[in-house]
Amino acid sequence: MDDYFSSEEEEEYCSDRDALDGLENDDPDYDWVPPKGPSTKVITKESLLCAQRGDLRRVMELLSLREHHARTLLIHHRWDVEKLLAVLVERGKACLFANAGVPLTEDQDLSLPRHSTSTVMCDICMEDIPGQITTRMDCSHCYCNDCWTEHFVVKINEGQSKRIKCMAHKCNAICDEAIVRDLVRRRHPDLANKFDRFLLESYIEDNKMVKWCPSTPHCGNAIRIEEDECCEVECSCGLQFCFSCLSEPHSPCSCLMWELWSKKCRDESETVNWITVHTKPCPKCHKPVEKNGGCNLVSCICGQAFCWLCGGATGRDHTWSNIAGHSCGRYKEDQEQKSERAKRDLYRYMHYHNRYKAHLDSFKLENKLRETIQEKVSVSEEKESALRDFTWVTNGLYRLFRSRRVLLYSYPFAFYMFGEELFTDEMTDEQREIKQHLFEDQQQQLEANVERLSKFLEEPFDEYDEKKVMDVRMHVINLSVVTDTLCRKMYECIETDLLGCLALGTHNIAPYKSKGIERAAALNAKADESDKYLPLDFGKAGASELDRPSGSGSLDDSGRPTKRARTEGLVGALIDLNVPAGGY
Amino acid sequence: MIDFGRVQKELQECSKDSQASGIKVSPKADNLARLVGTIPGPIGTPYEGGTFQIDITLPDAYPFQPPKMQFATKVWHPNISSQSGAICLDILKDQWSPALTLKTALLSIQALLSAPEPDDPQDAVVAQQYLKDYQTFVGTARYWTETFAKTSALGVEEKVQRLVEMGFLESLVRSTLDAVGGDENLALEKLCSA
Ligand SMILES: [Zn+2]
Ligand SMILES: [Zn+2]
Ligand SMILES: [Zn+2]
Ligand SMILES: [Zn+2]
Ligand SMILES: [Zn+2]
Ligand SMILES: [Zn+2]
Ligand SMILES: [Zn+2]
Repeated sequence: MDDYFSSEEEEEYCSDRDALDGLENDDPDYDWVPPKGPSTKVITKESLLCAQRGDLRRVMELLSLREHHARTLLIHHRWDVEKLLAVLVERGKACLFANAGVPLTEDQDLSLPRHSTSTVMCDICMEDIPGQITTRMDCSHCYCNDCWTEHFVVKINEGQSKRIKCMAHKCNAICDEAIVRDLVRRRHPDLANKFDRFLLESYIEDNKMVKWCPSTPHCGNAIRIEEDECCEVECSCGLQFCFSCLSEPHSPCSCLMWELWSKKCRDESETVNWITVHTKPCPKCHKPVEKNGGCNLVSCICGQAFCWLCGGATGRDHTWSNIAGHSCGRYKEDQEQKSERAKRDLYRYMHYHNRYKAHLDSFKLENKLRETIQEKVSVSEEKESALRDFTWVTNGLYRLFRSRRVLLYSYPFAFYMFGEELFTDEMTDEQREIKQHLFEDQQQQLEANVERLSKFLEEPFDEYDEKKVMDVRMHVINLSVVTDTLCRKMYECIETDLLGCLALGTHNIAPYKSKGIERAAALNAKADESDKYLPLDFGKAGASELDRPSGSGSLDDSGRPTKRARTEGLVGALIDLNVPAGGY
Repeated sequence: MIDFGRVQKELQECSKDSQASGIKVSPKADNLARLVGTIPGPIGTPYEGGTFQIDITLPDAYPFQPPKMQFATKVWHPNISSQSGAICLDILKDQWSPALTLKTALLSIQALLSAPEPDDPQDAVVAQQYLKDYQTFVGTARYWTETFAKTSALGVEEKVQRLVEMGFLESLVRSTLDAVGGDENLALEKLCSA
């Protein structure tokens, strides 16, 4: 285990931004540039339009459609262009259009005027209406503007902006968004803004590859991933989360394991369980009575004696095997077994939880180490010494965070992997035992090395002489490489020998990344041409609340550092996306 | 706000050909938001000869939201609750269109009486019977029609008199009969539950 030094590996750590972030949080010039662009992208209020436009344009060009029809098709297919094209190839244009509510004849509006010139009877309000205040949709149904407006208002308020159908009975056509916007704005400008927001946000709400950042208060961003849904991401606001379940990153736990574990930790059922294992209510006064010693005859402070096995009141005389005048027969066995089992389950849970909790505490403490270590580095740098480069400290610290995290989540993982709750039928007891040994071996090795790394990083190297500093440096670098390797090996074991062998369950985990969770890159929002294609009028939409801080550079509940949302390239008036409109 | 202009027009339209269609709609009170619809049981069905009353409540956004309708007359039908009179019909839910009217909705309900859809039941018990024991179903439906949906030949005064003899206040009897459109059974039910 001791031949692990490699200078290549060391260089890799120069880009470890997490450790640096903690130290250079207030440095406005600091900006981490990834070596190769991350595939995950942050969609901000500004870039949302741009992200949408890319997909819209593709469909508009391929099918020579107007924008609102392209949008209707895309919303219908959850913004999955590939799927949309597959339907087009397999089932034809007519079917594709009909299912989504897009009229086949695009040129209809050229032959028929939007507004009729003569008087028209509106079938909705049943009045004769001058033609110029009526509107004809692409499906050729024509009603008065007042009725259309009222219809749109009701639908938008019902949260159906994305697919407002024509008013005619059994007409499946989706109303032209430009007409909706225009008519609604005349009477309810606020609602027209809401409508625009709904349409824009459809790109996020209805899109499998895009999700809102779950930060609270909401940073206003969404994250778009490229391929694998099972990954952990970091928003530009600093929040890291699991893309599949939106909770904190929890690999190597699967989402289900993590959900179960969090619930288990929250529930007090375990405590309740403890009480049922260790106490029994007195049959007379009903106070819980604890058993002391092996004797099954217990007595309450009220003076009542009772049988521990069945809880029944008894006299006071007993021998080793029975209580005078009392027999509880078969029930005794069942009860004993039940309580034995509950006890065993509880001990098992406590075993894993204690270790999980210990690593969680260390993780929080080590986060404080960031500050003290920065001081030590500054002190050391002041010194007249040949040692000027202290990147090994921040690299080591970052490695410590990474490995501690893996270790932390490996306990709930093991709890479910080798427990009876999820995989009872997946392996025999023998197989389970072998696998558990294999895994625990690796876990223990990792644990030992993480603790050593932690210990060396805590040393007061700023007070040491050069030789001693070199010694600490050596250990930190070596241990960094070792823990990284061990983490990778543990993931290999999990992915191939444990989860990979499952026949039934699908437990996907975010893969191990030596460099940690990649921060999503900004999606380039260029203001070019957008107005030409998107006739959205954002003039009245409220300017954003972007400057609102999301956390203030301190630790949040879970010990994760939070950072101030970066404000980047704000141009023009923006639509306020801070409150996702999705709840409607 | 309810488009009362349109509701007025609907009522006029409806009364014009109510002789032919047998479909009537009349306001319950004077605010036009609560109405009573009447449909004759379709000929050739167990509902033939019955007159069915339907409570109608108009939502604020009518006609842009569907009217709420439920049977006031007890009826034995797979898509109508034998308990509450609730109706399972798509056009009263998400398939509503502002271009539909109270009359077209009532016509659809009448069509539903002729052609039940037991696969999308409102009343599971009735639907089961309809599918497994059609003869019994027809018998029960006919019996319910006879019992609850036949307008008695008796005049209003006789109904009043009989209800008063049961021990109810005359003024209350009259207003209750009014509210349920003259249906003696319904009036009795209301008086008993009040
Ligand atoms: Zn109109
Ligand atoms: Zn239409
Ligand atoms: Zn965020
Ligand atoms: Zn997850
Ligand atoms: Zn006691
Ligand atoms: Zn004893
Ligand atoms: Zn006992």
